[in-house]
Amino acid sequence: MSQNEDKVAGPRVTRGALLKSGVAVGLASVSGCTEIVRRVVPPPVPASVPASDANPRLLRLLNRAGFGPRPGDLEAAREMGPDGWLEEQLEPRNVDEGWEVSLRLGSLDTLDLDAQDARDFEMSNYPEVGQGQAAVELQQAALIRAVYSRRQLHEAMVHFWSDHFNISQRKSDCTWLKTVDDRLLRPHVLGKFRDLVAASAKSPAMLYYLDNAKNRKRDPDTGSGPNENYARELLELHTLGVHGGYSLKDIQEVARCLTGWSYHDGLHWQAGRFNFEADRHEAGSKRVLGKLIPAGGLDEGEEVLDIVCNHPSTARYVAWKLVRRFVSDRGSPALERRLAAVFTRTGGDLRAVTGELFRSEEFGDPRNRKLKRPFDFVAGALRATAANTDCRSSLRWLEDLGQLPFKWPMPDGYPERAAPWLSGLLPRWNFALSLVQGEIAGATVPLQELERGLRWDSSSPHARAAATARLLIGVAHPDLTSSLALGPCIRPNGLREALCLTLASPQFQGR
Amino acid sequence: MASQSNLGRSALRQTVLSPGGSHRGILVYVFLRGGMDGLHSVPPHGDPGLYEGRPTLAIANPGKSGGALDLDGRFGLHPDLKPLLEFYQSKSLAIVHAAGSPDKTLSHFEAMQTAERGVYDGNDVATGWIARHLISSPLDQPSALRAVAIGEMLPKSMDGAIGAAAFRSVSEYRLRTPAGWSPGFASALTRLYTREGGELGAMGRETLKLAADLEKLSAQTYQPAGGARYPATGFGDGLKETARLIKADLGLEIAQVDLGGWDAHAAQVPLMNLLMTDLAGSLQAFFQDLGDRAESVTLVAMSEFGRRVHENAVAGTDHGRATAMLLLGAGVRGGKVYGKWPGLRRSELDRDGNVRVTTDYRDVLSELVRERLGNPNSDRVFPNYTANPVGLFAG
Repeated sequence: MSQNEDKVAGPRVTRGALLKSGVAVGLASVSGCTEIVRRVVPPPVPASVPASDANPRLLRLLNRAGFGPRPGDLEAAREMGPDGWLEEQLEPRNVDEGWEVSLRLGSLDTLDLDAQDARDFEMSNYPEVGQGQAAVELQQAALIRAVYSRRQLHEAMVHFWSDHFNISQRKSDCTWLKTVDDRLLRPHVLGKFRDLVAASAKSPAMLYYLDNAKNRKRDPDTGSGPNENYARELLELHTLGVHGGYSLKDIQEVARCLTGWSYHDGLHWQAGRFNFEADRHEAGSKRVLGKLIPAGGLDEGEEVLDIVCNHPSTARYVAWKLVRRFVSDRGSPALERRLAAVFTRTGGDLRAVTGELFRSEEFGDPRNRKLKRPFDFVAGALRATAANTDCRSSLRWLEDLGQLPFKWPMPDGYPERAAPWLSGLLPRWNFALSLVQGEIAGATVPLQELERGLRWDSSSPHARAAATARLLIGVAHPDLTSSLALGPCIRPNGLREALCLTLASPQFQGR
Repeated sequence: MASQSNLGRSALRQTVLSPGGSHRGILVYVFLRGGMDGLHSVPPHGDPGLYEGRPTLAIANPGKSGGALDLDGRFGLHPDLKPLLEFYQSKSLAIVHAAGSPDKTLSHFEAMQTAERGVYDGNDVATGWIARHLISSPLDQPSALRAVAIGEMLPKSMDGAIGAAAFRSVSEYRLRTPAGWSPGFASALTRLYTREGGELGAMGRETLKLAADLEKLSAQTYQPAGGARYPATGFGDGLKETARLIKADLGLEIAQVDLGGWDAHAAQVPLMNLLMTDLAGSLQAFFQDLGDRAESVTLVAMSEFGRRVHENAVAGTDHGRATAMLLLGAGVRGGKVYGKWPGLRRSELDRDGNVRVTTDYRDVLSELVRERLGNPNSDRVFPNYTANPVGLFAG
């Protein structure tokens, strides 16, 4: 470990980012950042809560194409309307991510580092084995972006595709490689599907995670042949889907095409970059899904990606999966057919497919209910209460709740269906209790501002209840409102309990 | 307000069915972390190789001072496991010797992962074997406590489990409502989830019921039955909490309790004496405490690997391969040491000087899943593995 120590002076993003944002006055240490964030970031609490329920479609967009409304979001988007909001969000480059994000990300040391630098940084600053600083900071960044980014739809899609191309930080080097992988995927989540698949296929994290970096031509001495692990998941999970109509032979042929796809390892100056190792590539032509691929080295793999991305099963599978994440666990065959058609017509343009999805009638159908997964819940609760937080301590809760980002060990990503998550309601309620009572380190709920915004002092219990429900879930749901009005909203000091009951309610668990 | 919350509560009582009425047996899975030495706990005193390899560490022959407690002329029990002897004699304790996993790394981490995931290469499968059992034998009603792990977090065996909770004691599983709020907060929550339909409503009610039940349970001081006296250890406490949960009829199907510290690289004898005393004393108290309820409870104790035959220079042993598995309780055809004994002579050991594995632990667990947990899908619990019959359980 000591040989790494002299190398670690390396890039420290902290100070640079803070200087750029112009608030580095008196910055003494990394731990000071939280304090600065607390002082300079005014909680975004509006002067008053809307007197009527939110537009249902707009509310659903904010909940599903994002991580739920913050106080004031629904009013701000009211003038644009659902269509205007969606059009703006579909062009994330035109939306400022927001200084609330950059300021918080600036306190993370490893987020912008290459894998080798992140590893060296960790080894010298956190020499105890298993500290996992880089892994934790990436998890923290995911939550920071979900909670504070104004590019909500972009973050929702990054979240979706991160599951689709799941990498587990648990698998040794992936603890650092996933940080790089995240940067590789982000630019393409509203771009061309082919580019997204290629970014993943060449990502060192994926090459390592699914063993393609070990995939090499048959060894005549040992008889050991190409490694099929990545090839199988490329077809089964990333493109055609398990019922997509491929055979074991197709998997083997894809694996042969991808022999030699690897990355620079060890102390190479390009360590952690994609590398095609021609001498490991299996010679000869191949046949994938009925198409002949002539011997062509690196080009063979590129042709495989063309074939699988253009395959009709892929269009159907991507549509199938998007609908299950954003519309309903049960799916919607008609919508899936339309999305697949858009996918095919546009050559896998994800902006077009995503837009079609969120504009569809099925998306707005109130019968198509979805449960917040734990990450949606924690991010949504932090947003709804205008919490001011560095997002670090909430990671422990995500772990308790079973959805710490990038920790799902299998290549299929965290389950999307409601069933597996329903056993974890108690920790959700306890999270709500801890958050509202100020027991989560580095997270503050601006109770006074919320009390003012809700006009708590001058209102009747029922008006308080309706305002609380509208603040947190957008509508004065009758069951929730009556429970609030008969309980905590009777009491002058009942705000904490009212917020908590709302976050714990079945209504808030929905997306 | 008061009458409404009472209404809500009685409605809850009517609508939530405890899954505890099913006929599935209950499993208590004890993981002995650190590599439990099967040659020390269940010494093969009939094999001269034991005394050749372990001139100072071997338990003496039965009959000698500090000698093994003979089981069948070939194997004995460590003297500190004496409380288990009567289980063996009454045929409710079975031992599978030379059991283990295909793991050859001899790394604790790898081997534990292999064992708990229930697959050869643990990195390739995300779910644990207990999780796959739960998934492949679903209930009609959702349950928040099909499986419990006594500890801070779910073990790898329960990765991906639905309806599994981890807590160290019953009193931890509770809604952390501040004193000033209760009971209004919990009853308002109950009312909201009672009005909610579907799985979310059902699960919310089930969770509130469980939290309330456990709160009630933890309010009572627990008095173990049958004069049982648990050792004042983490393991003893864990089994006591488990007995308490089983007797409370909450629908619990599987509990995992770990006992760690078996990594005896040096000064093995005092360490083992301590652990064996804890293990046997806790198991004895647990079954005494269960009383009649023991009729549905089967307990398995296993480790990630055993230890090298030849003792090292500091009176300890290093990581090895095969070890002994213990099975106790309901359905076990006990009073027998199972498994083909591979022998301890140099020529009989593997290349590294370790006891060869003759029974894969999955053979034992597959049988258990089918025979005791009533799940015919043991091939889904242990994928890509064809289990060999051991015949451990009475039909």
